[in-house]
Amino acid sequence: MSYNILIVDDSRSMRKVLLKTLQLSGFEIGECLEASNGREAMDILDGKWVDLILSDVHMPVMDGIEFIRSMRDRDICSDVPVVFVTTEANEDRLRLLMDLGANGYIRKPFRPEEIRLLLSRVMGETDGFRTGTSVEGCDF
Amino acid sequence: MVFEREQVLKDVISEVLETMFFAMVEFEDAEAGNHCFDYQSEINLSNHDERIVISLRVSEEFAAMITANFLGIEEVRISCEDMKDSLKELVNMVGGGYHAQMNDSGWQLGIPTASEIGSKITHATPEAVGINFAFFGEPAGSAFLRYSPA
Repeated sequence: MSYNILIVDDSRSMRKVLLKTLQLSGFEIGECLEASNGREAMDILDGKWVDLILSDVHMPVMDGIEFIRSMRDRDICSDVPVVFVTTEANEDRLRLLMDLGANGYIRKPFRPEEIRLLLSRVMGETDGFRTGTSVEGCDF
Repeated sequence: MVFEREQVLKDVISEVLETMFFAMVEFEDAEAGNHCFDYQSEINLSNHDERIVISLRVSEEFAAMITANFLGIEEVRISCEDMKDSLKELVNMVGGGYHAQMNDSGWQLGIPTASEIGSKITHATPEAVGINFAFFGEPAGSAFLRYSPA
């Protein structure tokens, strides 16, 4: 099964790295869409269906907190899984993300195995993924 | 337990460079800022009372190498914008790592910046922590950590 992915990050480099990480992880990607902030992501979600969103937290225009708040309030995308990939170390803000409906978060720097493990759990897949690395923010 | 700023900064830089940029650096004892570097990236951490500025200065050669590693493409295909974008991510992760080690949720991480600084020698201000790092024996960069009132 392939997934349509939306990657939200103001860093073009980071978007490339995340896409490459997903590809190397054996995560089957259908269409990969990109946005540089939450506002652009909301515009994309108005016209496209995606199966999974990977998002940064610190972004100009609309940050990750406002983004997930807006998403979860909108019927068309309220159930789409969102995983934050972030440098955020503030526990209160991370807890807020989870309270607002994030499906997990992972801190940068990350290892590909951590992304693979977290996404396999979030997407309900159990095969083809190695385990053994710690993953933060999973609430399974 | 004393929070050893310099050691924490070294540990965080090592972790980020090794994990995301596949580069192992060695830290030098020499005074930071005595080398010419080409690019600078910077990020702020702030709370109500204080501000921390973390600055990284690196050579173009090192910037190109870690950018190529980060993006998984050949160095000849790296643009100046790619390097600046990657250096922003580098300092962003260093800032986030430093924040995590501080274990104090009152601080907020800012938005990173990166620019060309044009091969000039820079010196740490007296109140700053400054360290040099090398890659395979060649000077690769400097890191500065400065605390100041907000």
